[in-house]
This record gives sequence, structure tokens and C-alpha cells, in this order.
Amino acid sequence: MNWTNVFLLLSRELRDQLRDRRTLFTVVVLPLLLYPLMGISMLQITQFFREHPTKVWVVGHENLSGSPPFLQAGRIASDWLDSSQARLLEVQLADRSGDEFQRLVGEFKRDNAGEVSQALVNAYIQQELKRRDSDLAVLVPKPLDFQPNAEQGGATSTPAAYLFLNTSSDRSRVAAERFLSAANNWKNAVRDESLREANLSPRLVEPFVLRSMDIADGQGRRAAAWSRILPMLLMIWSLTGAFYPAVDLCAGEKERGTLETLLSCPASRSEIAIGKLLTVMIFSFATCLLNFMSLGITSFFVIAGNPAKGGFGPLGGMELPPTQSLIWLLVATVPIAALFSALSLAAAAFARSSKEGQYYLVPLIMICLPLMAIPMFPATRLELGTSLIPVTGLMLLLRCLIEGQVSQVLQYCGPVFLVTVAGCWLAVRWVVIQFNSETVLFRASERFSLRNWLTRAFLQRQELPSVGQALLCAVTILVVKFFAGFAISMPTSFSGFALQTVIILFATVFMPALLMAMFLTKRPDWALKVKSCRPAWIAAAVLIGISLNPLFTWLSGLVLTIYPMNDSVQQLQSIMATVMSGAPGLVAIVVVLAVLPAAFEELAFRGFILSGMQRMKSSLGAVIASSFFFALAHAVFQQSVLAFVAGLIFGVIAWRTQSILPCIACHAMHNSMSILLGELKVGGWGAFQWLVYESERGVTAYRIAPALLLTMLGVTLLYWLFQQTSAEPVGEPSERDAGPSLSPRLATPAGSSR
Amino acid sequence: MIHVRRLTKIYQHCDESEHVALGGISFDVMPGQVFGLLGPNGAGKTTALRILSTVLKPTSGVALINGFDVVRQPEQIRRQIGFVSLNTAIYDRMTAWEMVYLFGRLNGISSESLHVRMDDLFERFQMNDFRQVLGGRMSTGMKQKVSIARALVHDPPVLIFDEAAAGLDILAAREVFRTIELLRDQGKCIIYSSHIMSEVRRLCDEVAIMNRGKILLQAPLAELLAGAKGRDLEDIFFDLIAESEEAAIAGVER
Repeated sequence: MNWTNVFLLLSRELRDQLRDRRTLFTVVVLPLLLYPLMGISMLQITQFFREHPTKVWVVGHENLSGSPPFLQAGRIASDWLDSSQARLLEVQLADRSGDEFQRLVGEFKRDNAGEVSQALVNAYIQQELKRRDSDLAVLVPKPLDFQPNAEQGGATSTPAAYLFLNTSSDRSRVAAERFLSAANNWKNAVRDESLREANLSPRLVEPFVLRSMDIADGQGRRAAAWSRILPMLLMIWSLTGAFYPAVDLCAGEKERGTLETLLSCPASRSEIAIGKLLTVMIFSFATCLLNFMSLGITSFFVIAGNPAKGGFGPLGGMELPPTQSLIWLLVATVPIAALFSALSLAAAAFARSSKEGQYYLVPLIMICLPLMAIPMFPATRLELGTSLIPVTGLMLLLRCLIEGQVSQVLQYCGPVFLVTVAGCWLAVRWVVIQFNSETVLFRASERFSLRNWLTRAFLQRQELPSVGQALLCAVTILVVKFFAGFAISMPTSFSGFALQTVIILFATVFMPALLMAMFLTKRPDWALKVKSCRPAWIAAAVLIGISLNPLFTWLSGLVLTIYPMNDSVQQLQSIMATVMSGAPGLVAIVVVLAVLPAAFEELAFRGFILSGMQRMKSSLGAVIASSFFFALAHAVFQQSVLAFVAGLIFGVIAWRTQSILPCIACHAMHNSMSILLGELKVGGWGAFQWLVYESERGVTAYRIAPALLLTMLGVTLLYWLFQQTSAEPVGEPSERDAGPSLSPRLATPAGSSR
Repeated sequence: MIHVRRLTKIYQHCDESEHVALGGISFDVMPGQVFGLLGPNGAGKTTALRILSTVLKPTSGVALINGFDVVRQPEQIRRQIGFVSLNTAIYDRMTAWEMVYLFGRLNGISSESLHVRMDDLFERFQMNDFRQVLGGRMSTGMKQKVSIARALVHDPPVLIFDEAAAGLDILAAREVFRTIELLRDQGKCIIYSSHIMSEVRRLCDEVAIMNRGKILLQAPLAELLAGAKGRDLEDIFFDLIAESEEAAIAGVER
């Protein structure tokens, strides 16, 4: 890495961007003008922020006139609602005309509302409310005040009043709130008076009062309020500040033809990518800073500078954040700007034109938004699991910084920093790959022809699937599996579970791959890697499945420590354990849970999808991509992490042996091990006590020495397999390499053209 | 020197169809020689030159420049070449001086030496009048001059010109030709691609006529014209292209 070149490119890019009026407007002028203009607008529209009067239509108002009375002179009595609120709640008393109205009141008077069609009542009341321009209807079929004589006379049911509110209307909800507040005050007064008349203390029904006291100091309260808003704002500023320069520096340069000039100079692709990343970072940081300054100054005048005019609608009650929070915010802006600059640059480098680049902003925001939203949930805390999630970890760290939780910050700033640096590194690698990608660099105007694609896919089929077909298969499996998940019912017996598992796996995983192999390729057996191989490779794969189990057990423990299973998954596991207990035998469980899933998944992911992905230049990249889709196909996140690692091992075996058989053997054995260990645990480990034991947490654990030996054996076998076999060149395999087909049906599919 | 053997380039389109841009071309260019690549649009000239300038990677074949392989040693190659193409644009928001200075520095020239070298280049190409003018405000001729100065600033032993005089007025074009002749006399190894016969006739020592990714004819220019029985370069070019097109159409029909 020649840092002189990086700084030369950085200074060029900075100068270039500073001379671009559009970038300057977005990054500098807009933030400086936006907030003062928003402040002016807010002051202007403040006059519209007032409480609006609402109307309540009371049917049966004569039943509210007990002692003390609820209504006085056609309004709610001042004892129950303060005068300002009472003015805002106009009471309309019902006239008693109209047969429908009389029937309705009659029905409610019988206290038999269940027999009345609720839809009819709603429609009638809605119509009446509209006719009267009223927001709320209150129906009082019986007197509500306590009447000792009536109670003694045998009337036992508590009288009820009915509020008919429209929850889709803000005005109706406000009217209901106002009315309920007054009605509750009146109800308490009626209750207390009745108790007094009966010579009983009001404490009989309300023995004590609970009052909560806020012990947070002013600074803490202000920090807590801002800690939810500022991180989100900072992310948005950072992303917008990074995105436009990134698009101009990558896609814009491609469009203007200057990228080819740059790529033909001695600066390496990495130097060019880092120079551009640093430029975008500086602009992202500057955008955050300027937005922050502009917002701060505007807020100061709007919130603090004009307290007399307080109550600025949504800002009412908001105070300026404490200085300490502001300082931390500035510090945290650096990694945030770095991460979002890297993401923006990665997206922009993929774009072939500025226009295409603009299209990527929305997907980028859509991907980042859920990660930004996770920290907004009150239950989310900064811990190891959340600190390892990109964006989320940064936001939680920032929230802790603003709230002054220094110990938590110190504990988890390492993982957050590592994830951020890893994100930046991956983005730079991606940008370098894009700068080397001819399809991205030189064919901006190439149009995708569906007709040509279909012609090639179906009529000019090739022996192996293409990258596009592999992607199509992976996405199809994910989508079909997602929707099939909703059709699954909770199994009650093992036979039901087995049937359901086999059908779902066959239909959602195996069928898409099989159908695509049959109809989109000339040699479905090659596409699915259904080829014979040396028995020694299968034996080695089985041993790898066994010997790497301690590694997976340890990895599983680590994943579960970082991301513990939630209650619903644990409940599901206990249900599954019950279902499994009804299995006819161990062989049945192994076949249903280990062998069949291994066969179906391997044929799809290491068969069709990996075969297609291997048309890319990098076989290792193909293995990673197929493992990524394999991980996504697992519904539970913790399983996905393990599936990704397992997928890498199966992928390497498939890549080197070019046969699906060792992969199925390894995968089946990998699945079987956890079942077998479970059985051993029930039997008290038997002869395997030297190998495994039950840990303090009640889970199976390997003893260290044999586990290490087994892992070393597994790694050695994997290396041996890697050395024994030679990877097939990318592209069409030759007849010579194909080997005899194991499945004549697959090799000559009925109805397929040759 | 430049050594090219069986160089092929196949583009894969997004609809998964393929296009053979180069079908296994071979040629050598010696120091002090101007090698002309002559062909109609789409013949594969630019693809070949992009591979030599390491911007594209070949599908197969070998290309060596001063002993460095374009696939395995792209960064060493870029120090050996100056590449001017219609596609190598100049920055709109940089002045002529800043542009040439940047590429000089990226080629590892110290600031002091660079100023001396740039003064000479700006003088030779009469660029002093617009040395502080931004690229976006320059005429096509000015831009092309800046591009050539940018390619020559580090004094590379190999120069690749792809339609270098396209869009230039007659005076600027003459200046470019004089510069190329001067560079040839200095012992530089030069590839000059064009579809304008007069340029090739004036500059090149050896020519290769290309169409549909293949070299149809390759010979020293003097020998070619001597054996042409009175036909000039243009006649030879058109006859070869027509023949190649007819053969291609016949191939498709078969």
C-alpha cells in the first residue's frame, strides 16, 4: 500500500467534490439552511397547535342527574372537569323523538345488549353522530348514582353507561378521554358520598395510593430523551452525507470516463478505493457536523431562546441535550461516518451509472432501517450479542455514551469497533472487486433481454447451470420455504412430524433444484453433482462429520451464549422432544432428522446452487455464496450461524470432489451426531464417558483432550481431501471428468431436449 | 517491447449470451516502431488496447510488455505505459495543470522534477494558455492535448494511442502526429489504433488490419504498399473487410 498515492487521490477527490455545486449544496448548504427554515416554519405553524373543541351526544342524560349531579345547565359540572377542558367538551342532549332511538334505548334499558345486532347499533349511532356533527355518543340507560333503596329492593346488577367512540378518529378519541376523565371524577365522588352516607370510610375501597417519584436529575432526563432521537438522526445524516459523494466518485466517474483513466495509472485498486473511502468519510462527517451545528443553533433559539413562546407542538417540553452528550456524539460520529461511507461506496461501486447509483439509496436505507430500529426498543441493551450486529451495535453504543453509561461502553466498544472495521474492510474489498469487474465498468448501456435469456435458458441449455440460474434457485427455495412455513402445523405425533418434514424438504428444497436442473441444463446429473467418487473420499467425509462435532458443539455453545434462544424457541424444542419420544426407534429419527435433510439440502445447495456459483471466477467465493444461502434457509438465527460454517465445510468437499456423495455423507453424519449424543446422554454415556459429559448447564460437552484430538483429525482429513482431489476448471466439465452417472433417470430426463 | 500471442477476449452479457471481441490475435511491437491497428468500429481494437493497458483481463492468451505479464503484473505494466484513448477522459473539475501533475505524482515523479517536465510538455503542446482552465470548460482539442500530456508525463517506454487524434482540429492533430514521430525517434514502442487511413499511412511502420476480433492482415506498411499492385491502403482495407464480412455472413447462413 503506497500511502502517498492514497493521499494524492484523497486530495484530488476532495478538491473535485468541493468544486461540485450539487455536492456542496447537499452536504453544506442544505444542512445550514434546512433547520433555520424548519424553525421558521415551526414558528409559523405553532399558531395552529391548539386544542380543538369536541362534542359528546348524551342519550339518557336524565340518568346522570343524581346527587351530586354530573351535568349542570347542559354542561359537565365544573367539579368534574376544569373549566378550560369543560369548554372544549360540548354536550349535546338527545331529543327523545324517533322510533329507532326509542327502540335502541329500550334494548339497552333491558340491559340485554347482547341480543341487539352490534352492527346495527354501530351503523345507527355513526349515522346519528354524523347528522349531529358529534364525536362521541354516550348512552345511559339507567340512573348511575347509588340508590340504597333500589339496591335493597332487589336490583343487584351494577348500572352501566356505554361510550360509542370511533377509534379511527382522533377527535373521537380525544372526546372520549375528556369525558372519561370527568366521568371517573364523578364516579369517585358518588362512591365516596355513598360510603359516607353508609358511615363507611372511603379507604374501604381504596386502602392506599401509589405515587411514583422520578429520581433522575435534569441532565439525566434530557440525556435519556435525546439518546433515542440523536443516534437515529446521526445515522440519517451520515448516510445522506456519504451517499451522494460516493455515487459521484464511483458511478459518476464511470459515466464520465475518468475511472478508466484512473485505473490505467500505477495506483493500485486498493489505493484508489481507500482514497475514495476517506473522501466519502470526510464528507459524511462534515454533513453530520454541519447538520448537528445547524440543528443545535436552531433548537437553542426555538427551545431555549423562546421559552415564553413555549409549547411548540412536538418540541413542547423538550430541553437542550447536556454538553457531555454532545461531546460523545461528536466522537461517535467518526465510526458511524466510516461505516456508512463504506456501505455507500460499496453500493455506488456496483452501480454502472449515477442514475443506477441513486436507485441503491432506498434499498440501502431499507436494509439499515431495521438495524437502526432495533435499539429503539426499550428492552434492547448493549451486550455482546447486540454489539456484534452492524449499525445496531454502533447505535446502542452511542445511546449508552449519551446516557453516560461509561462502564457498559468500555465493556463493548471493542466488539463494536471490530465489527465497524470489518465492515469497512469488506466494503473496500468489494469496491476493489467492482473496479476489477468488467461488466460493472464498461457496459453501462447494456440492456437485459428477457427473450435472449429465456432462449438461452431453455433452448440453448448448457451442461451446468449459470450463476443467474443458481441465484434464481436459491431465491426460489428461500421464498417457497418462507411461505411453506406458514402451512406447517404443530405436530402431535412422530409419524405426522416425519411426514411433514419429508414433504416440506422435498417440495421446498429439493424440487426447485431438481426441476431447474432438468429443464435448464443439459446434464441434470452434473448440475446436481450426482457423480460417483472414490469410496475413500466418502469414508473421509463421514469421519470429518464425526470428528468436527466437538468444534460445532463448542461453536453452538458460543452462539447460544451470545444470542440465547428466546422462550418461544425453547417451548418449540420441548414440544419437539415430546414428539421425538414417540419415535419407533433411533433409526427412524436419524433417517428423518439427519439423512433425508442432508440428502435434499446437499443436492440443492452443494449440487445445483454451488455448480452454478462455480461459474464465477472464484470457487472459494462460490462456496461462501452457497453457504450464505444455506444459512438463510434456516429459520432460527442461531442455527443459521452454525449452518453457514457447516456449509463452508460441505462446500469445500463438494468443490474438491465434484461429487455430492461425500457431502451428503458428511452432512448426514454431522446431523446424526447430535441425535446420537442425545441418546447417549439418556443412557448415561455408557462406554463414552471418556469423551463426553453433562455440563453444569445440563448440555452435552466434550472433554477437552479428546475433543482437541478429534478436531485435529477432522482438520487433517479435510486437508487430505483438499490435497487428494483437484478442483475442476471453471466452466463446462469434460466427458472424461464426468464419471458414470449414478442416476440414469436424472441423466436422461424425460421430455428434455438435447 | 510488446509481445502478444493468441489473445482472446469473450464478453459474457447479462442475458448470458457471449460475444467474442478478440479471437486469438498475435503481434509484436519493437522499440522505435509504430504499430498500427486498423479496423472498423467493433473490430476489437479498443478491447486489445484495454487489455494491454490492464484495464481488461484477457479470456486467454498472453500479452507481455517489457517482459511483464498483463494479468500477473498489472501494476508494473502501468508504470511502463502511457495510455491515451477516447475513453480515458479528463476530470471536468480539475485544471490542465492539476490533472497532469496528479498523474505525474501517481507515477512516482518527485514534485521538483515534475514541474520541469510539465513546463516542457505544456510548452511543446502549447497548453500554457489553458493550464488553469477546468476540464469541463475545455474544447475537445484541449482535452486531447491534456490526455496526451498526462500519458507522456512519466516518460514511459511504451505508448498506446487509441484514436488519439479523433476530434482534433488539423493543427492540433498535426502536433500530435509530430509528437508521435518524435517519440518513435526516441525509441519508444508505440501502438496506434485508428480507422483513418491517412493517419496510419503517415505514422505506422507496420499495420494489422482487424475485423470481428481477428487480424486479417499484418505486414510492414512499406511491403504492403509495394505488393499492392497500385492499390492504396484504403483499397486493401476495404477489400479485406468486405471479404471478411462476406465470409462471416456465409458462416451464419451455413
